[in-house]
Amino acid sequence: MIKKVPLFLAVFSFTGLALCATPPELLKGYEAQSSKAFTTRGEQFFNAKHGKECSCASCHENPPNHETKHIVTGKVIKPLSPNNNPERFTDQAKVEKWFKRNCNDVLARECTAQEKADILSWLMTVK
Amino acid sequence: MKTYLVLPLFALLAMPVSASKMGMPTDAPKSYEAECASCHLAYPPGLLGQKNWQNIMSGLNKHFGTDASIDTKTETEITQWLLKYAANRQKYSAFAPENRITKTPWFIRKHDEVRADVWTRVGIKSPANCSACHADAAKGDFEEDNIRIPIK
Repeated sequence: MIKKVPLFLAVFSFTGLALCATPPELLKGYEAQSSKAFTTRGEQFFNAKHGKECSCASCHENPPNHETKHIVTGKVIKPLSPNNNPERFTDQAKVEKWFKRNCNDVLARECTAQEKADILSWLMTVK
Repeated sequence: MKTYLVLPLFALLAMPVSASKMGMPTDAPKSYEAECASCHLAYPPGLLGQKNWQNIMSGLNKHFGTDASIDTKTETEITQWLLKYAANRQKYSAFAPENRITKTPWFIRKHDEVRADVWTRVGIKSPANCSACHADAAKGDFEEDNIRIPIK
């Protein structure tokens, strides 16, 4: 029984993390896969173009603390900063899905764990 | 006397449902709203034929210039639902070039009076933005008297 408890806790906390994470938890995860995040580097990355037509800011605007419109379709995008939209960065699968999609659109490749850490650390400072 | 009343009634019932009233099926999976409508209108499946929907769903990583990839389970769920309600009358199920609703012959004909500069107005942006002019597009209502074209 005693042996089973840590196993149960381990499984439980793992699924808990996947389904309902917090922005600091996700940030920690990305930092663990790379190194310490730099908010200023995250902000630069967010605003810069990376060889394609759009930057992150093309759709999310800067600062991303308000509702914006998708640059092509015109569909409303809710604020990206977790301080202005508590739903952001609380579901790891959703976060990964959108990083994959949007990084492919902006950079023509997936983002590295370091880039994700930088961006998220900056977004957590946006008010 | 009775036949006079009954016959037109039958004629009405036999009338094919037009595209303008196709409606949105009520059993759309939640993933359709979450995955597709996060970027654009949740297009009613009756706007394209089966082959077009199959093409779209099997190429989501290159979706009209954007990566819209989703996990396999969700992809299957959405595909099955789209195919169930895809257009089946010949006029609407004809193959759409580039899998674009806006390139179907019926779409082009229905919009032939819309000038080129109207499409690019800020409030419209693109012919794919149905709800800019068709307020109830998400419900599958494209009725003529329910159209309001933004002036800017």
